[in-house]
Amino acid sequence: MAVSDAVRSTAAVTTTKDPGPDRPPSKFRQALPQYAAVSPFFILFAIFGAFPVFFSIWLSFHSWDGIGTMKWVGLEQYSYLLTDPTFWKSITNTLIIWVISTVPMLLLALVIANSLHNATRFRSFYRIAYFIPNITSVVAVTMVFGSIFSNNFGLLNAFLQSIGLDKIEWLSQPWGIKIAIASIVAWRWTGYNAIIFLAGLQAISSDIYEAAKMDGASPSQTFWRITVPLLRPVILFTAVTSTIGGLQIFTESQVLFGSSGAIGGPGDGGLTIVSYLYDNAFGSNQFGYGAAIGWALFILIVLFSIINWRLIGGNDDERITKRAARRVQRKIAAEQVAADKAGKEHADAH
Amino acid sequence: MAVTRRQFLVLGAGAMAGLTGCGSRSSLGGADQLSMWTWTGSVNDALIGEAEKAIPGGNGKQLSMTRIGGDYKTKVLTALAGKSMVPDIIGINDDVATYFPNADQFHDLHALGADKFKGDFLEWKWKLGITPENRMMAYPMDTGPTALFYRRDVFDKAGLPTEPQDVAAAAPDWDSYIQLGKKLKQAVPGSAITDNITSVYLYALAQLPQRYMTADGRYIGDGEHIRKAWELAIRVVKEGLSANAQEGSTDANAVVTNGRLVAFIGAVWWAQLGPKNAAPKTKGLWRVTPSPGGPGNRGGSFLAITKYCKDPEAAFAFISWLESSKNQAQSFLDPVLFPSTPASYTDPRLAAPDPFFGGQRIVDVFAESAKKYPGAYFSPYDSIINDPLKAELVNVEIGSKTSDQAWKDAQHQIDRELTRAGAI
Amino acid sequence: MRTEKVRTVVGHVVLMFGVLVSIFPFYWMLVMASNTTPDIFTYPPKLLIGSHLFENMGNVLDNIDFFGSMLITLFASLGVTVLVLFFDSLAAFAFAKYEFPGRNLLFGILLATFMIPSQLALVPQFVTLAEFGWIGSLKALIIPGAANAFGIFWMRQYAKGAIPDELISAAKVDGAGFFRQYLTVGLPVLRPGLAFLGIFTFINVWNDYLWPLIVMTDPNKLTLQVALQQLNGVYGTDYSMVMAGALMSVIPLIGVFLIGGRHFIADIAAGAMKF
Repeated sequence: MAVSDAVRSTAAVTTTKDPGPDRPPSKFRQALPQYAAVSPFFILFAIFGAFPVFFSIWLSFHSWDGIGTMKWVGLEQYSYLLTDPTFWKSITNTLIIWVISTVPMLLLALVIANSLHNATRFRSFYRIAYFIPNITSVVAVTMVFGSIFSNNFGLLNAFLQSIGLDKIEWLSQPWGIKIAIASIVAWRWTGYNAIIFLAGLQAISSDIYEAAKMDGASPSQTFWRITVPLLRPVILFTAVTSTIGGLQIFTESQVLFGSSGAIGGPGDGGLTIVSYLYDNAFGSNQFGYGAAIGWALFILIVLFSIINWRLIGGNDDERITKRAARRVQRKIAAEQVAADKAGKEHADAH
Repeated sequence: MAVTRRQFLVLGAGAMAGLTGCGSRSSLGGADQLSMWTWTGSVNDALIGEAEKAIPGGNGKQLSMTRIGGDYKTKVLTALAGKSMVPDIIGINDDVATYFPNADQFHDLHALGADKFKGDFLEWKWKLGITPENRMMAYPMDTGPTALFYRRDVFDKAGLPTEPQDVAAAAPDWDSYIQLGKKLKQAVPGSAITDNITSVYLYALAQLPQRYMTADGRYIGDGEHIRKAWELAIRVVKEGLSANAQEGSTDANAVVTNGRLVAFIGAVWWAQLGPKNAAPKTKGLWRVTPSPGGPGNRGGSFLAITKYCKDPEAAFAFISWLESSKNQAQSFLDPVLFPSTPASYTDPRLAAPDPFFGGQRIVDVFAESAKKYPGAYFSPYDSIINDPLKAELVNVEIGSKTSDQAWKDAQHQIDRELTRAGAI
Repeated sequence: MRTEKVRTVVGHVVLMFGVLVSIFPFYWMLVMASNTTPDIFTYPPKLLIGSHLFENMGNVLDNIDFFGSMLITLFASLGVTVLVLFFDSLAAFAFAKYEFPGRNLLFGILLATFMIPSQLALVPQFVTLAEFGWIGSLKALIIPGAANAFGIFWMRQYAKGAIPDELISAAKVDGAGFFRQYLTVGLPVLRPGLAFLGIFTFINVWNDYLWPLIVMTDPNKLTLQVALQQLNGVYGTDYSMVMAGALMSVIPLIGVFLIGGRHFIADIAAGAMKF
């Protein structure tokens, strides 16, 4: 579609050069107000989006601290990046945090939405109460969760001790850190997703449920056999938004560990891709390297976007695209494992 | 249509003017203000208050100081790379050499007449702020002699020696100190002698005459001296004497406040940042005594004037005034900064008993440490060497790596970093 | 019928439990903000609201320019919101309701920009703004975000269905130019959509962290989120005060939300269904 448009516009350009005797004023002149109307976005994007993107390619071939002079280093930044175990760790961390936050979050949201759908009373109260976490700033929430998970004065540990268990040093263990960050994410987004599921549920005609009831389907059968399949597009929407958000997690680890000198926390357990980027670019002023990491992030997001797009866009032949997506995911996972192994072996060999 | 187009033109022109209009390249703050960035516990508030009214000898300029939290160096480097809103004066920590590659971002203090104050300062401290190209980038503030801080009341409860000279006699080196820590822990469960593994390592390192590089640029961070400090830190943790509160975390404050940390080898400034700030209720319970393992120095800061400075002469008048021996003596009282000007040592204010330390004359302990400190060379690469070592030590502390593996990984990472930086 | 009732009760119990989880962190924030630091740091922790709330809040006001930061944040959020509403709705109006050469191509480009994560060009964006001399000034917060692809896309979807072509034709007959058509026909119809996009943008800018953390280098011009992180970094030893600051920072948005939130929630849900 875009191509034919481009052809059409070039055609239009040639015709304006050679105005026929009874041609009205050029289509372009007529459309000036529309061009002006859409131009702010394109101008801003050119300056603050497109230009920096191209600039970042150039930057990533340099070593530069943002202050002194730039030095051309060719592909060195990229080879450093690909051989840096910390970089790979930041990718696995991000994916782990994303999975352990998103899966329980969406399941819980589904349960809540279902209960909300059946509840006739207090519905608007519930909706407000469930939505408030989402509009609360991550910085403040992270501080609260940081103190709940704290090793030495945390509420969670106090609770564990009060029921006779040993305390756990959540924020000193890579997996504890991931759980803490994932709970912040899940806390902020479960309600949001529940509200969206609820809208999806309300769009399902009640006739279907009536029919199911007539057939003697149990509530759980109705839920899994009717509700969930019909909600699929909505579930995919929430999955997509969670993916985009999940790959860009940053604030949680920065607030928890930013002042400790190691932004990922102990064992780099909370080091996400974006925090790795921030730490290298602005923590140690490796601007060229930061640009290279930006490209790695870009590739990752494109990869996931393709997966999502195939999942959503493949309505006509869902099973095939689904299978393909699964294949891609499996491939990523396999590559991940291989890369990890390679990284480890590399370290071992040394 | 005409109206429409005109409206858009006006709009577009406005937008373009906004986009191309170049911002000012001046420093942060008003025209008659000199802005300064520093961190908590690095200056005396009364002196700053005075300069905020009018800088003595500063052409009528006023100081405008801001404390920057947490990731201080990130903020400074980002501001320098941002090229606008850079403060006139910045505080720099003992990693001053890591700024040397960008020394052109700062005024050469030689040119501002710093040399006439040279004789007032400790020689080793003065030299740390001068680049190999003989550019004086930073002016000395305090130094950071180390000592052992301990809770007299808890030592008493544990049946250990309580008076400073007795504690020093009982723990002359790290070995005996660890034994003492074990007794403490037995008597008062939960007691710790360090907040985390990193502190032990850094304070052991602070006692050494060498660090990571030699002055002629050879890497020695894989040497025996570093490995010993490394093993020592791991030993303290393995004995269960660490509070496992990571550096810079809220937990690290909490273990001082809630009394888990009952002894700590720390630099003089920790007196303020540690117990005085985090546990004001423990007033009178703390004492200091010479550090096990010998004298050391960690931290102690510098001031630098950025090239964006509106009035370098006034800025220099300010820093030379703030760091005069008289004012450094005042900064010892609050926030317990140890002077780098020997003339301060005879100032009667330094010898005043400190009620927070039960009336002890803590200056005696720190002055002794300062006098005996051997001094060590700081290279511009010390930070990129230090960071992997610290991170890998934490990996050992949390049990995710063995000591040997962590050491190997740290050295490998340092090798990569130094190669990238062109240092080796 | 009885099982139906039991199910309703069970449903409410589940929902109330969820509400408790949603609300609890706020309660905990209040507990910490209203006790003293030594109380917070001891075991077992205080579980009830203490009596030091106003003292701690007073300390926040003494130590950081809280209201100054709030004003900066408000100004940035309002600035971006107003510009976004104007630019996005104008562009969306043109895309939705007019044929012009290259329209689909331009819209395709716009959609393609969705794919670019905002962090890709974080460093060069910073460098660009540094060259402009904008680092540390509000311009760095407002102008790069003054129009966005998401808003245009969303408003276009909205405008397509909401604005009847006949109204535009009628306006054209009356001799109204494009901009007048936008003002008299487009804007009134788009108002509900604008309300949603406005709140959405406002909240996002208000809560944004990474970008202001990098570009707002002037410590006297920090947004609330960055100021809060600074408070923690500088005065971390007084944790109850830090928590009071956190509490104060979340109150304004929650207040606004409690007043206007109901429509917003409905709009969010409707927006999600449109994709």
